[in-house]
Amino acid sequence: MKVKLSRIFMYIFLSVAAFLSLFPLYWTAVSATNTTPDILAASMTPGSQLIANFTRLLELSSLGRAFWNSARNAVLLTALSVSICSLAGYAFEVYHSKAKDRLMSVLLLSMMIPFAAIMIPLFRLMANMGLVNTTLGFMLPTISTAFLIMLFRQSTRSFPREMIEAARIDGLNEMFIFIRIYIPTMKSTYAAATTITFMAAWNVFLWPRIIMMSPDSVTMPMLISNLMAGYVTEFGVVMLAVLIATLPTILLFLFLQRYFAEGIMGTVK
Amino acid sequence: MKKLLVLILVLALAFVVIACDNDNGNGDGEITGSVEDGGTITVWCWDPAFNIFAMDQAAIIYQAINPNFEIEIIETPWEQVDEQITTFATAGTLDLLPDIMLVQDQAFQLNVMNFPEVFLDLTDSGINFSEFGAAKTSLSTVNGRNYGVPFDNGVTIMGLRTDVIGQAGLTIDDFTSVTWNDFITLGQQVLEATGRPMLATTAGGADYVDFMIKSAGVSMFNADGSPNLDNNPTLREAIAIYVELVQTGVLVEVDGWDAFIGSFVNDVVAGTIAGCWILGSIQQNPDHEGLWAVTNVPRLNVAGGTNFSSWGGSSWAVTTNANAALAIDFLKHTFAGSVELYDILLPEAGALATWIPAAASTVYQEEHTFFGGQRVAADIINFSANIPTFYFGIFHYEGISALEVAITNILNGADIDAELQAAQEFIEFQMRG
Repeated sequence: MKVKLSRIFMYIFLSVAAFLSLFPLYWTAVSATNTTPDILAASMTPGSQLIANFTRLLELSSLGRAFWNSARNAVLLTALSVSICSLAGYAFEVYHSKAKDRLMSVLLLSMMIPFAAIMIPLFRLMANMGLVNTTLGFMLPTISTAFLIMLFRQSTRSFPREMIEAARIDGLNEMFIFIRIYIPTMKSTYAAATTITFMAAWNVFLWPRIIMMSPDSVTMPMLISNLMAGYVTEFGVVMLAVLIATLPTILLFLFLQRYFAEGIMGTVK
Repeated sequence: MKKLLVLILVLALAFVVIACDNDNGNGDGEITGSVEDGGTITVWCWDPAFNIFAMDQAAIIYQAINPNFEIEIIETPWEQVDEQITTFATAGTLDLLPDIMLVQDQAFQLNVMNFPEVFLDLTDSGINFSEFGAAKTSLSTVNGRNYGVPFDNGVTIMGLRTDVIGQAGLTIDDFTSVTWNDFITLGQQVLEATGRPMLATTAGGADYVDFMIKSAGVSMFNADGSPNLDNNPTLREAIAIYVELVQTGVLVEVDGWDAFIGSFVNDVVAGTIAGCWILGSIQQNPDHEGLWAVTNVPRLNVAGGTNFSSWGGSSWAVTTNANAALAIDFLKHTFAGSVELYDILLPEAGALATWIPAAASTVYQEEHTFFGGQRVAADIINFSANIPTFYFGIFHYEGISALEVAITNILNGADIDAELQAAQEFIEFQMRG
């Protein structure tokens, strides 16, 4: 009886949590099909304005270009970031020494510095290197993050060392051990790191807003911000843009969610 | 390990050296370049339906005079313009600035005073600033020097639903040129007859108190820049009126800007007060066609109190990185010299001019069916001529923050004088920092 009661409470709690998580998405989807007055009147039912809102969105913004820019930036940054940080995390743990531990502590300290504090010197650096308005200028500051290195380092702790020893005895060099043994074994950590990095790269707003000034380099979050900048906001159009901007991260998460929890917990199967 | 440490230190040093290489652009403030050769002017502004449209139209008009002229408009929301000014000036990368940028009036003086190296002095540029409303040009003037060509009008207007006030036996004339005390009495009649508050505003904001004191030409700061909150009878009166508006239910506080727009689009309140740029939002509900009218705002019962104020609005700034001669010639022949441009902007974008010669145009005399046939544009231009001049000051944003805290506390029962004293001390502390 006691078990049943706790189960009921658990389901109630989970239902509330699911509702709180899904409602904003539902509201966004419904609002994307409604007019501004309908949205401001808190209409909860789908309307008939989806095509009108989409046409207006194409009129007001360069949707295709923004989507392409966001996708290109996010994919490139995720691929580079996950590759470099996994190498670093692996090296910090496998080629372990006291000096490296100290260096890791310094790296972790960098997580405590807010981005706004380094933004201006960073911008100046990029401007002097001629990287304003370039994808490289956008990516360089965030390719290597202390969080991701830490995630890989922690996960590597549960990676069986015997496999490395066995591979070495079989004559495999260090790079091939990493590529052929480490990467396939740690795919759940890679999935988690990919999801986290892709979401951060897709949603990043402040830095591209500073470094990407050309109209050709506008990204999805910048496009949404531009839609909200005028005296009159067309909320249906904004909601449609938000929905379109949310879809890739939802899809990626659904695709990789099987591995996500394992990866975050640092377990190896 | 030592080698690694040395490598890291050398790299860090290299970055610092690169970062400290100071290049302040061509911030000498001289008007350079040539008009005849033409060229491309880069512009930062933010609203495709409004100021971007205006810039596009201005470029078409100017191209008839100067065929070699091209324009590149970069859609840049105001917050981004504000951030970029700070970033570029602080980082010394003024060569990345555009030729022209649109700056919100409330932040114009503040930015010119903080970053004079960004803004070109336009006083002797040949632009006739006397053809703009004095109150409007004063917002982009620092130490008697003009730094901005006024663009859109931020005249504060009161829009009312004639059908709603009609249910209480009132007309728009009853609300025209009244005091706030009269307005509260009339508002209570409407509330009683219809159950609708007159107005809504965003909770925790100080917009109302801000435009009220501006309507009497009073600032939160003295001319020397020192704060003037604790010994300011106009500010005290404005806060007292605001508290009464809320307590009587004539004005309701709502949660956020969307709810504020929703309040009058969705029949929650009987009207709204804001800058005249709110006209676009008012017209979003087609069911309200013919049911709105516009009048001036109530006045404070203090010395110098008027029924005219400003809220928002923006002006064009020319940067020190500009092809200055071309940028100035362009502005001179368009926003500061073309009736034709304003004739297009009013009906197409709802942009009301601050350039006085535009008001004589027949377009400004046209009747507006959404507002029951009222000549809205002509009326608003007349309002704008009567706005008292006003000084924002370099700490305007800090002043607004202090006021927001004070107003919230006063609404929760705190003493006005004690709160204004605390606000004064807060600003003084901020200014020392």
